[in-house]
Formats: sequence, C-alpha cells, structure tokens
Amino acid sequence: MLEGLLVDLIPYGEKCRAQDHRWWNNESVFWSSMGERNIVSRAQVDREHGEWTESLDKAPESGVPFCAQTKDGKPLGYFGINWYSYHHRLANLGASLGEPEYWGGGYGTDALLLIVDYGFEWLDARKIWLGTMGLNQRVLRQMEKVGFTLEARHRAVALADGQWYDEMVYGLLRDEWPGRPAMVEKLGLKAR
Amino acid sequence: MIEGKLVDLVPFEDDFATYFEQWMNEESWFRARVWERREPHPEDAVKKFIEKMEKNEHGALIGFQTKDGDPIGGVIWDHEWTRVRKVDAILFVGDMRYEGTDEALDGLLMLLRYVFETRGVHRVDAAALAFDEVRIEFYHRAGFSHEGTLRQHVRWDGDYVDLELFGLLEDEWPGYEQITAQLDLQPSGIEPKPKPEKKDEKKNGSGQQPG
Repeated sequence: MLEGLLVDLIPYGEKCRAQDHRWWNNESVFWSSMGERNIVSRAQVDREHGEWTESLDKAPESGVPFCAQTKDGKPLGYFGINWYSYHHRLANLGASLGEPEYWGGGYGTDALLLIVDYGFEWLDARKIWLGTMGLNQRVLRQMEKVGFTLEARHRAVALADGQWYDEMVYGLLRDEWPGRPAMVEKLGLKAR
Repeated sequence: MIEGKLVDLVPFEDDFATYFEQWMNEESWFRARVWERREPHPEDAVKKFIEKMEKNEHGALIGFQTKDGDPIGGVIWDHEWTRVRKVDAILFVGDMRYEGTDEALDGLLMLLRYVFETRGVHRVDAAALAFDEVRIEFYHRAGFSHEGTLRQHVRWDGDYVDLELFGLLEDEWPGYEQITAQLDLQPSGIEPKPKPEKKDEKKNGSGQQPG
C-alpha cells in the first residue's frame, strides 16, 4: 500500500495477525508501551484484537493501522496512526516492531517516514505527535533525526522493571516537514 | 459527601443535573474539556454524559458545592491507568460567579485529595489551553509542575492554540490539610443562587401531566 525503500506498509490483516501472539509476548511490547511486559494467551490476543477492530469501526475519529513488512514480504510489526482527530487535524502515532533482529537497521525509520507522509499528505493532518518513555534511546534519537521537537516531558509516567521513567512527547508540524523524498535524501536511506 | 474547607464533594445528581443542561453548553465547559469539539448538547446528550460517567470504571464525574449547598461545578478524574497509578484531572466551574475564587480552587484540591489520599494514585495529569490563565494559576497554586507545551495542538475559534501540560506526583502532594493551611483559603461571600425549578413540578403546576 505505502511503498518504502526497506519496508512497505500493508493492511494489518491475517498475515500480521498470525504473528500477534508471538509479538505481544516478546520484548517489543516493553519498548512500544511504557515498560509493559505481557504474558497473554492466544485467546486473549484474539479477543483484544477483536475489540480493537470493533472500536476502529465504531469511532468517528479512529486510527489507521498498518503492518510493516520487508521488501521480500516478512512482516515486522505494527506501524500506524493510533487515533486521528479530524477536528484538531492531529494524528497520534504508534509503532511496535515485533522482530528485534530488525531493530536499528533503518527499517523503523523508513516506516516512520511513510506514516508521517501518509498523515500529512493523505489525512491532511496539521500535526503529528507521539510519546515514548525516556528509557527508549533508540526512538528518542530517531525522533530528532526525523525532525520532531520534544514538546513535553511527563515525569514518572512509565514503570519499567521497577523504575519510574519520564514520558517524552514529540510533535512535528506540517510546515516543518520537508517531504518524504527530501528526508530520504537527508538521512541517506537506500534500498538494499 | 466528602467535606472540605470551603466546598464539599457530592454525587453529580439533582440540582447538578439540572444546572448541567446549561453548564455543558457554556464556554467554561469547553475550556475545561480541552479536546472536546464545540457542539451543542441537548438534554439527552447531557443525560447520556452523566450516565456514561456513572458507568465509567476508570473515572467519575463529581459535583462540588459550597458549605451552604450552592452547586459550583464539577470535578472529573478519568482514564485511570491502574498499572502506573495515573489519572487525568479536570475542574470545571459551572456557576461563573465562582470563577477564580478560593471555592473553585478548593474543588481542585478536593479532587487531588480524593485521588491521592483515597484512590492511591502515583501521578495526576492536567492540561490547560495556553490562554486559560485562571486554570494555569490554579495548577501552580495546587503544586503542579509545568511539564511542556504541545504546540498548536488544539483547534479553538479559528486558530490552533498551544496546550500546556502539568503533572503532580504523590510525593509532591503535601496532603489536603497542609496545602489548604498554606494557601489560607478564604470564602468569597457569594450569595447562594435560588434553587432551580424542578421540571416535573413545572409540568404538574401547569396541568400538562397526562392522567
């Protein structure tokens, strides 16, 4: 659906859902949440997924989930707009790459550029924002690289392995976004 | 009822429900509910909101009134996140004569007392539109720290305005008794308003009740 250099963003359908049980029980949840560690059964995953899909159907202001996959078709995880406000023209992003061996290889950055571009160019968002825990250095670096501004630091929101960490909230305004091609060039992202 | 220095927390019913049909359509409501779209709330929408909050397992709508029983407005705790013991706190003043008074501030302090001292939360989140100086001053007086500004975050009357974010942690909360003593809260002396007319009584009085 959305074609990148290292990943494509495709519908979050059967192919990705088949990975959910493994992804929801692994380390990726810790980083994409606020230090959560899940121990969830297949039935729970199915139930929660069902509730989530239902809520997307019902909500007038709803999210747009995608699944990121490599160019040769290996699903990597969730990448999407958690919720969109048409009223404020505000898109809140979320991501969880369920395959740790693909962390740090530019896959997440490529997916981020795709979803930011989608938010601005298709949903006509004025602003894209997200939060992550301060412990998540990889994402903090990524945010600055892609031009997001640190707007707020909520103290002691995330409980991760018995320690409190701050939540860092980042925002990117439409007039700060140079466009995906310019950002691909700036970051030197290349197909492999 | 939970009794405070200048105000008491009470169930959001009776006169509160009657006043709320007006309050929920006024500027102060939308200032308090920073995310909410500006739209009219007819009686059934108001009733639905109250019912929704009564069923809410992660929050509640609570009335606050003067010691004479004059309804001032409401406080809301919401989105309680049990794992990290966090809630969002919202204060709204319905009777605008009380805007900026120590009674209104006491409403916020009573909400903080309830969430910290009864519900055992670790952290309280609060937000204000950048131009809402009265609210921002209340947060500072109640001991909140300013934690950031979400730039151009909220659509408001033809513009996109900044949203100011605040946080208060349990170990920063001195306790209700101590903070009210420090702030030396004083009553404003505002006269209680007349009780609202009951809708059913009105119907009976005018002989419109069937049967």
